[in-house]
Amino acid sequence: MAKLEDSWRRFSEKSASYTAYAKAWEAKIGAFLSFNPQYKPTSTSSAPSGDSPVAGLPFGVKDNIAVVEFPLTCGSKMLEGLTSPYTATAVQKLIDAGARPVGKTNLDEFGMGSSTDNSALGKTNNPWDVTRVAGGSSGGSAACVAAGQVPFALGSDTGGSVRQPASFCGVYGLKPTYGTVSRFGLTAYASSLEVIGVLAKSVGLTRAVYDIIKGEDGNDQTSLKSEPGPARPVRKIGVLKNLTGLAPGVETIYRESLATLKKLGYTVVEVELPTLEYAVSAYYTIATAEASANLARFNGIRYGLRPEYAENPEDLIRKARTAGFGDEVKTRILLGSYVLRSGFQDQYYTKAQKVRTAIRRDFDRIFEEADVFLSPTFPTTAFAHGDTTMTSFQQKLADKFTVTANLTGQPGLSFPAGLADGLPVGLQVLAPVFEEGRLFEVADRFAEAVPPADCPGTSLDWSL
Amino acid sequence: MYDTFVGLEIHIHLLTKSKVFCSCKAHYGDEPNTNVCPVCLGYPGVLPVLNEEAIKLAYVVAQSLNCRLSPRTLFERKNYFYPDLPKNYQISQFSDPVGENGFIDVPLAEGVTKRIRIHDVHLEEDAGKMIHAGDMSLCDYNRTGYPLLEIVTEPDLSGGEEAEKFLQYFQRLVRYLHVSDGNMEEGSLRCDANISINKTGGGLGTKVEVKNLNSSRFVRKALEFEFKRQSAQFEAGTRIVQETRLWNENRDVTESMRSKESSHDYRYFPEPDLPPFVPSADFLRLVDSLQVELPLARRERLKTTWGLSAEQADFVSESKTLADYFETTAKASGQGASVANWLMGDVQKELKHFDLTLEASPLSSARLAQLVTLLESGRIHIKIAKQLLIAVFEENKDPETLVKEKGWEAITTESQLQPILEKVFTEHSGVVEAIRAGDQRQKGFLVGQVMQATGGRAAPALVNQLLAKALG
Repeated sequence: MAKLEDSWRRFSEKSASYTAYAKAWEAKIGAFLSFNPQYKPTSTSSAPSGDSPVAGLPFGVKDNIAVVEFPLTCGSKMLEGLTSPYTATAVQKLIDAGARPVGKTNLDEFGMGSSTDNSALGKTNNPWDVTRVAGGSSGGSAACVAAGQVPFALGSDTGGSVRQPASFCGVYGLKPTYGTVSRFGLTAYASSLEVIGVLAKSVGLTRAVYDIIKGEDGNDQTSLKSEPGPARPVRKIGVLKNLTGLAPGVETIYRESLATLKKLGYTVVEVELPTLEYAVSAYYTIATAEASANLARFNGIRYGLRPEYAENPEDLIRKARTAGFGDEVKTRILLGSYVLRSGFQDQYYTKAQKVRTAIRRDFDRIFEEADVFLSPTFPTTAFAHGDTTMTSFQQKLADKFTVTANLTGQPGLSFPAGLADGLPVGLQVLAPVFEEGRLFEVADRFAEAVPPADCPGTSLDWSL
Repeated sequence: MYDTFVGLEIHIHLLTKSKVFCSCKAHYGDEPNTNVCPVCLGYPGVLPVLNEEAIKLAYVVAQSLNCRLSPRTLFERKNYFYPDLPKNYQISQFSDPVGENGFIDVPLAEGVTKRIRIHDVHLEEDAGKMIHAGDMSLCDYNRTGYPLLEIVTEPDLSGGEEAEKFLQYFQRLVRYLHVSDGNMEEGSLRCDANISINKTGGGLGTKVEVKNLNSSRFVRKALEFEFKRQSAQFEAGTRIVQETRLWNENRDVTESMRSKESSHDYRYFPEPDLPPFVPSADFLRLVDSLQVELPLARRERLKTTWGLSAEQADFVSESKTLADYFETTAKASGQGASVANWLMGDVQKELKHFDLTLEASPLSSARLAQLVTLLESGRIHIKIAKQLLIAVFEENKDPETLVKEKGWEAITTESQLQPILEKVFTEHSGVVEAIRAGDQRQKGFLVGQVMQATGGRAAPALVNQLLAKALG
């Protein structure tokens, strides 16, 4: 911990150099939609934050999470120019612990995408190779952490939106247990699936941030107190019996990592997950259904994009939504409205909820056979901007490893496992609800054996 | 020749300090857009937090309407776009509302009640208001998020008149329960009506919904209009269209608003931001403790306990406050009918004169009981009692105190009255002579003189008795 504080003290003395460093990277990667290192947050806590592991640290916040006085664009033209009137609970807890938000990071519009190329407001490049995407939807948060612009950032994970960009950018990405981190202040995309997550350069810092932001919140009635079982060391790691469809580089790292884990003393057991093939369909049915309602509030009346002229209120709403939303957002709203039509719910929405229950049962069984479950985070490494080898539909299918945790509510962590052709490959470890401790333990042990690589060109040491 | 089936959908604002899903003030009549916050304005990232007072009152109403109370009630999103609905979905209930399958007995005439079944009672949030001014449309979101309870009846009402009586009774009921002020003018009680007619014995016909009914009288008039319109269509052999119609209060007609084909598909689905509400045993005990004797039961009991007439019982049971006041006064004075008469007559008159409500007036129930007791025990007469009531209003003092201060107590003993009688005889010796000579008509004059001399305080019976004795 001391190292981090010292490191921040160095930069607070020379904040001009910090700003220069952050801006130089920013010109290359475009991680932020707004950046203000001079931002003075207001703490609601009277307790001194001196002992906090994040005291004095700057951090990035995905631009679908509210920070008062900062913009809250969600990467959409619809909300360009909106300034948030309030601060999200998770952000406020970090501020109260002495950390400082310095900017809002780029994302796929409203969190819908896995490349950040769906942002209507900026292009984010992967710091490892600027011709490639940073992943998404929390691409800006992953990129700024990888480039050392901030030691950590908040993202949101609805179907893998923290873990997949973490994998693409070679950083840690935690999707906590559903409900353990308050969603108050997180712009809703799919309320029953998503959670605010952490992207950081080290396991220690990921854990420290999670410990600060978790907890029940009176402003979020779905929030819960984390109640893990008695601590015991992880011994058995479950992996998929028949794992196919991985890019060769990812496949290699995955196999090597399994060997490493065995060397570290873990037992690797093969498990079956027969419901996996339905996960993506169930996920998109539920996510788009909820999105169709969650995004209905954006109508150009109280805030956000507003047409210059409208015949009547209905015309105003139509024009604002036509001009304000991008194609991917419109597609998902249409899909969601479709699956919720009266008379069709049994066929889609209700059926998806049944699949969700079936997946949960599969994982209950898996966690009787193993302490954690391990897989690649994503079948490929970061792809190039405008890469058309995968259609939008195929990109969605590639979410299959990450969406299960959103459907079950279980925690997941993507950790850097190595490089394939110079690009980071992340592995994902999943655990039963509230057992984030198991994820940190495995990632920590792995990092001892295979320390995560630093992105070329990063010179600041923010690690714990 | 026709059967008419009417069902009502009634919305009431619950009497809570704050809104149903945020801490904004729920208060009528404030400057537009002053009782708003990011939550009720539907800013990105906000979440609803259920107001415990609102869900409690919802259960209180459901229980009073004899509903099956949900052991696990669910909130759902009802999706539709309208500028005064910030989220463009309303948090409501659909598959598992607070209460279902209830009933209420409604008085229709003396000794006649009808049981109206309640389909369900569910809690939701109100929308804001849109005001059209010239070529502008303005939104006021103060009302957005008011706790709104919807009560849906089965189509058990037989027409406009019954619907009006039902609504009036329902209004009294929610006021008795102190869950809503039930004010239709301010929109804290709103009503939509469904009506279908059919040849006698033919069962339910095609349903037509009528909206914009801002008073119980409009409910009756609109339904009567619909009955005429639909029966004329029947006569003419025209098919009745399933549609929503609006009551036009200026023209006294209903007008088509939208047909079934263009009706909304609300795409209900469970509200992911609110867990189901599971009432605890303590919560249900609290709800039970908030039940009150309903207006109809109370009226009947007042009749039997205090011997009130139908008219008196109607008057006294109009509001729970008045009924409580009456019963306290009646118990303290032991006089039911007399107290009821005072309340209906002189007390009303003075309240009107002083422009006061009973609760805000100086006439506490203890004071009225004192006044009635003074009168009934003969310590004051009726004329003095009326003066005394006015004095209580003017001077805000107890009747006992006023009677003493003003020396208004009745003269009830011979020793007090005899000297006055003698004085009158002396002054009017001619009249005395005439009576003694047999002119009994003049006796009334002497009584009047005695009353005048005592300021009306002489007990008339005693005056007559003493006069008879003195004059033979």
